[in-house]
Amino acid sequence: MEPIIEVRNLTKIFLSRGKKITAVDDVSFDVFNGEIFGMIGPNGAGKSTIFSMLTTLIKPTGGSIKVAGFDVGKEDDRIRPIIGIVPQKLSLYPDLTARENLELMGNLYDVPKPVMEERIDYYLKLVGLETHADRFTGGFSGGMKQRLSVICAVIHDPEIIFWDEPTTGLDPQTRQAIWKLARKFNGEGKTLIFTTHYMEEADKLSDRVAVMNLGKLVALDAPGILKEKSESANLEDVFIRLTGEEVRD
Amino acid sequence: MTIRTELKHSWIIMIKEFRQLFRKKALLVPLFLFPIIMIVFFGYGMGGTVKNAPILIVNDDTGTASGPLVQEIGSYTPKYGGNPMFSITYTKDMSQSEAESKIDAGLYKAVLLIPHDYSDRVAKNESTTLTLLTDSSDTTTSGIIINFMKQFLAKAGPVSLNIPKIYGDLEYLDFLTPAVIALTIFFGSVATTGSAIAGEKQDGTIVRILMTPVSKRSVILGKTLYQLILQLARAVILIFAAFAIMGFKMNGSWLLVALVLVIFTLGGVGLGIVMSAIADDMESFFQLNMLFTLPSMFVTGVFFPLSSIPDWMRYIAYLLPLTYANNAMRAIMIKGQGLNAISTDLIILSLFALITFTAGVRLFRREA
Repeated sequence: MEPIIEVRNLTKIFLSRGKKITAVDDVSFDVFNGEIFGMIGPNGAGKSTIFSMLTTLIKPTGGSIKVAGFDVGKEDDRIRPIIGIVPQKLSLYPDLTARENLELMGNLYDVPKPVMEERIDYYLKLVGLETHADRFTGGFSGGMKQRLSVICAVIHDPEIIFWDEPTTGLDPQTRQAIWKLARKFNGEGKTLIFTTHYMEEADKLSDRVAVMNLGKLVALDAPGILKEKSESANLEDVFIRLTGEEVRD
Repeated sequence: MTIRTELKHSWIIMIKEFRQLFRKKALLVPLFLFPIIMIVFFGYGMGGTVKNAPILIVNDDTGTASGPLVQEIGSYTPKYGGNPMFSITYTKDMSQSEAESKIDAGLYKAVLLIPHDYSDRVAKNESTTLTLLTDSSDTTTSGIIINFMKQFLAKAGPVSLNIPKIYGDLEYLDFLTPAVIALTIFFGSVATTGSAIAGEKQDGTIVRILMTPVSKRSVILGKTLYQLILQLARAVILIFAAFAIMGFKMNGSWLLVALVLVIFTLGGVGLGIVMSAIADDMESFFQLNMLFTLPSMFVTGVFFPLSSIPDWMRYIAYLLPLTYANNAMRAIMIKGQGLNAISTDLIILSLFALITFTAGVRLFRREA
């Protein structure tokens, strides 16, 4: 398969009170076109930092990232239109309606108006929010916000979707709906990269899973192969074996 | 649940709140400094007297009777002052129009013209008229000087005062309106820009916007344009209200007023961006905002003239951009002066806008 994201020797060092903290330490991997790529790791493993670098929000200290052939840090303007990001914070304007939030994002991505209107109606129906289109999102439940947040990220029809902890704090029904949505987008040919703390989610959803620990990539493979290699019954056991039992800050 | 348990929970919550407060450094400093600043500025600022007001005495008296009079004016110290009320400059042979131009240029708050026959008339016990020109665009100082002179000269024998109105019949409202417009624009542009960004940082919406292909320059520009329209609209409403309800009279160019307000709004927006970049949340932003904007309200001569505040406070006023906006607005709206008269103010306000914007753009991070 062809890689759509190429990460080589990626390093990120932060300065905190005069001390250097290596959040990401010489990490290399590829994400293939059309796959669902999960990232797991304990707190402070470096997932969010990699996520921020892949999505052009922060610049790497060392190494390189290519997204769809474009260099992160040099060609960010070419990368942003082809990626969609579902942030962990739902980040919707509470005093705008669902439709207005979608229109805002569509407009920022320069989606032509007729196409945008068509997509808004389609996606609102897809996530079951069509009857709430003209309600302020401030009054939405967590699940409704999450569903809206997802479609805000795909209104410009991106090739790659970055999804930061897609189902944290959601009820099982909404979680199922979100997984279904993820598979639907993937079925349309979109590449999905997501981080999660839920091992079941990583197991069920991912084609391949990257396990991060203390800034390093400690394993990368299909969930089944990871389980087989470490002779574990489930991904949680694999995770504990690879990252240890120590509770992280 | 027992009262004891409830009190224990309240105590835990209270300790938690204090702990959070002491970790918010950007909130902590202004929070404690603010009451001190308020006491100091209110205490001195609302004094309502005049200190060291620059006055020119044109003494054309050929005799000696005016000598003690001008000396007494020069050395007069108000009851609760400490400093002399006036800082006197003496001259002679100056026409009234020349004296008016000195006031117009802002060199003196008042000019007292003593006629050449003053001593003769006093000697003959005849009534005589002195001319007092005041900078009536500063209605408060002007009023205080006129009252003082009237009372003072009443004791000096049959002397009357001729007080020509250089800028027409002005009242406190005329003094207040231009500065209140500047103040409103300043408060509005800083607070609404800063609080909006701080709020968006807090709820994550700004990060979502910055994840799109939109550049941070576009985000800043969009917010700035919004502010320019909003603040100018507020200024129009305020001016309209002053006209319609209170009969305010405009003596200068609307175009210049707009120019001052646009430049000043840009500075306010820049300052709002800088403050929101420093503060982590809305609460910290509002405390920072008050630390800067409220002293501006009391020391920059919005409600009372700069000449009525102590020297050290005046130095602070000269560091605050609102002082220059007030100057420029009054020069245009009351005195009807042009670009030349406000050029220094415009340069300082432009520098303020340039510095705050440059800092704001640098501090406005994509990852917010």
